Amino acid sequence: MQIEKRITLPKTISYVALLVMLTFTLMPIIFMLTASMMTSRQILRMPFNWIPEQFAYQNFIKAVQGNDQNYIFVRNISNSLIVSSSVAITTVLIASLTGYGLAKFRFRGRNFIFMSIMATMMIPFEAIMIPLYMVVMMLRIQNTYVGLILPFLVSAFGVFQMRQYLTTFPAEFLDAARVDGMGEFGIYAKIVLPNCKPVIATLSILSFRSQWDNLLWPLLVSQSDKMKTIPQYISSFAQERNTDEGAMMAAALLASIPMFILFMSLTKYFIGGSSVYESRKG
Amino acid sequence: MINKKYKGIEKKQARWGFIFVLPAMLFFSLFSFYPIINAFYTSFFDKRALSKAPPNFVGLGNYKYLFDLDRAASALSFYNSLRATLVFTLGTFIPLLILSLLFAVLISNLSSNKAKKFLQISYYCPAILSSVVAATIWMIIFDPRGLGNQWVNALLRTPGIDRRWLVDPVMQQVSTMVIYFWKYIGYFVILFITGLASIPPTIYEASTIDGATKNQVFWRITLPLLKPTVVLVSVMAMLQCLKTFSTQYMLYTNGAPRAPINVITFNIYVTGIQQQRLGRASAMSVVLFVMMLLLTLFQFKTTKSEQVEY
Repeated sequence: MQIEKRITLPKTISYVALLVMLTFTLMPIIFMLTASMMTSRQILRMPFNWIPEQFAYQNFIKAVQGNDQNYIFVRNISNSLIVSSSVAITTVLIASLTGYGLAKFRFRGRNFIFMSIMATMMIPFEAIMIPLYMVVMMLRIQNTYVGLILPFLVSAFGVFQMRQYLTTFPAEFLDAARVDGMGEFGIYAKIVLPNCKPVIATLSILSFRSQWDNLLWPLLVSQSDKMKTIPQYISSFAQERNTDEGAMMAAALLASIPMFILFMSLTKYFIGGSSVYESRKG
Repeated sequence: MINKKYKGIEKKQARWGFIFVLPAMLFFSLFSFYPIINAFYTSFFDKRALSKAPPNFVGLGNYKYLFDLDRAASALSFYNSLRATLVFTLGTFIPLLILSLLFAVLISNLSSNKAKKFLQISYYCPAILSSVVAATIWMIIFDPRGLGNQWVNALLRTPGIDRRWLVDPVMQQVSTMVIYFWKYIGYFVILFITGLASIPPTIYEASTIDGATKNQVFWRITLPLLKPTVVLVSVMAMLQCLKTFSTQYMLYTNGAPRAPINVITFNIYVTGIQQQRLGRASAMSVVLFVMMLLLTLFQFKTTKSEQVEY
């Protein structure tokens, strides 16, 4: 998209605008990094000095120790890792299975099933959380991993993505495998699944981070400290320590590290992942 | 196709397709369709979580309670929640839409690919942090002695004024909007960049040959061709804003007053979980669902009727 540029003044304005936005988006993150190494007094000094005077490592110790000095942070961040990874795995498995079934098999009711699954996209989680909460209470699965994971086993959007991707998958491969005597599950596991790597990557990242960010559902399901997830930990830590800004920032930083590692190593899929919404048009 | 043997294979195939789809069908029936029907059903009862007795049927009582005009003036009424949600949604999604489109155009016009990539990644960074972390960072920035006051006062040359970010009812709403905007701007910029990239360059070439100015190109070519993306992004952003919860929850639990930021989802949470009034909370859920349903249907309608041909 190369258009000849003749005017120079708007160019400088656009550079300035881009820089202002860059400052706005990055400053708070840099603030979190430096503030996590500062004492509270230094954080709230006027004017603010961006370079820490000394490394206040106590912040990180406090962040990991938690409100009751019982290192519940470790347990809570593991809970988040377990829940988010499980949701990513089940979403990929069920969505690919369903997407494959809808894309490559003809059976009665196929379109109806597809449309019903798409219709669930119109049901926001926030509108069904109260009935889901009642189900959790009825099944007595409060404070369990099952309770945290169950409502998110697969997403309609995941099914949609998988189906769209697999519709263009050449049927000759599948038929060839059938002729060779491969079973249907074998074909799915050995031919279909290995060929959807890009969708699997975007979909698992999408589901992982949506659970990593989830505060509302764990608030309903996990009341015991041991079963809380990391957003709940940060929330209660910030409540209890709201005058210890350094420790708050250290906790926030520690809680963000897994996502940052994921982002740095898989940038392509993060940024490409948001563009797949575009395919909804089609 | 009439061949008997072939028909047998087709039947077998149909069975396998059904087996593959079955787990998802069970899941969506149990965890999407059943709960939404249940929400409608429960909204007609005075259901409390802790009572063992079967709940009383109250008909439209819960809805009457929510939309009772006598209660409209009280600080934590459902009207107030509707107002808070509406203000937050409009105040967040309009700047998000306009600025993300603007910055997507600015980035797309850059000539260096490295700069493009760097800016996209940097703008996207806040989206990686969880909402809770974002709120925590900004709560410290919005401290009376924090960076928020220092920056605003430096820009406006008004030293020593406290903007009361987390205390003043209006500023509190502005703060939630700033936090949300900060978190999602990069995400929407990237959506628009993808949309811009799908417009074929030949159209631009033709228009420059015809002598169109840059302004004309943007208003007469880019914007009309980008319409599907604009509709998609605006409805998506609106739906997301209607569901906001974490930011408001974090501010409230850290001492901010509840009424100005008592959005619908937050009200559902407090009513259903803390006050254990499940019937009333279900009625609120139904209202939220209907609002979002209308928005989604609107999206379908506009995207269908306005197919753009390149």
